[in-house]
Amino acid sequence: MNGRAVRALIRKDVLVELRGREVVPSMAVFVGAAFVLFRFGLGGTELAGGTRAATGMLWVAIVFTALVGLSRAFAHEREGRTWDGLLAAPVDRALFWFARTCSTFLFLVAVQVLALPAFWLFFLQEQAGPSYPVLVAAVLLADVGIACLGSLLAGLASSVRAREVLLPALYLPFSIPLVLTAVRVTTDTIPPQTSGLETLERLGFLALYDTVFALLGWALFEYVVED
Amino acid sequence: MRSPEAILCESLARRFGERDALAGVDLSVAEGETVLITGPNGAGKTTLLRILATVLRPSSGRVAVAGRDLPAGAPDVRRSVGYAGHDALAYPDLTARENLELYAALYDVPDGRVDEELDRVGLDGRRGDRTAELSRGMLQRLALARIGLHRPSIVLLDEPTAGLDADGRDVLRGFLAEPGRTILAATHEPEWFAGLENRLVAMDAGRVTA
Repeated sequence: MNGRAVRALIRKDVLVELRGREVVPSMAVFVGAAFVLFRFGLGGTELAGGTRAATGMLWVAIVFTALVGLSRAFAHEREGRTWDGLLAAPVDRALFWFARTCSTFLFLVAVQVLALPAFWLFFLQEQAGPSYPVLVAAVLLADVGIACLGSLLAGLASSVRAREVLLPALYLPFSIPLVLTAVRVTTDTIPPQTSGLETLERLGFLALYDTVFALLGWALFEYVVED
Repeated sequence: MRSPEAILCESLARRFGERDALAGVDLSVAEGETVLITGPNGAGKTTLLRILATVLRPSSGRVAVAGRDLPAGAPDVRRSVGYAGHDALAYPDLTARENLELYAALYDVPDGRVDEELDRVGLDGRRGDRTAELSRGMLQRLALARIGLHRPSIVLLDEPTAGLDADGRDVLRGFLAEPGRTILAATHEPEWFAGLENRLVAMDAGRVTA
């Protein structure tokens, strides 16, 4: 892998975001608004369904928040026709997917640094603290999966006119297994916790999901961006 | 299959949906030749250049660049080709220097060449400016700096004179006059290239007509 090219592509995404402030602020506002709506729309901290319902809302909000960011992935390249410059460069086109996956992951983590404490404050403030190592592992593994899947599908959707419709239509069904598992693992982190083995199996599933979509992204992106 | 010409197209066609952008182009450009393509809007000039730059796949026919058939040989071809499209292919939120640093990394050339190229095209005083703040002519100069980074042997230019002022045209003339390059340029101003070109090719409705 051409490390210099990957670093340059990630730097480009980060600089464009720092200056344009298009993605991360929109994601932060979206997830914040979702939490407010859930809290006041569904009965405050005393949710029917308890912890499981709360963690379900967390991951639904995160998956939709990622969608907000992914809808702008590759938008600069398509709108400014910079795609042609990238596609003409002598690097494996899978690098464009990999770099976009890394920047999507970074943007998602940046939003979650604010969103996760806000979530606990809104919905689980009366619960004992979670198991932080497991929670961090679950969030990072789920984020990698979202970024791998989302970057592949965003690349595919960016080449069609109805990309705003196509991206969610493809991304949401594929994210269902990830959301279900992430919800269970996150619930596991909150006392009373389930057995460590079950949690480990679920983390293993998230790692498997990441691996599958990482391999698919790497192998298919060349064809996804072909005009 | 290897081909001795720098650029060779045989019955090259490209369809977009129901529309034939290229409908059987036959073209041969020898190494070191400078060839101008003229023709009305929609003649297929840009599509031809994008296929030669390996950005687009042909629908049918044969196309070879730098001795390699496309699309199979595209990874080898890309290092030999410099492509300046109708747009500058620059990120507006990045500075001129940052844009070139990105391409220097993609082409794996030393970062030091970025400043050399900016100096060469007369953008040394604007290297820290975002490209959104640059004029059309300056963006054209930046595109010349970008394709100069990796010293390509084959240069594909789409409307290179568009928006260029007198100084910018001098820069372009100097670039075109450098020996050892094969140049294929689409233009609506063939008269400006007097003395630089070897041959003029006319296109219309996706075909070479003269």
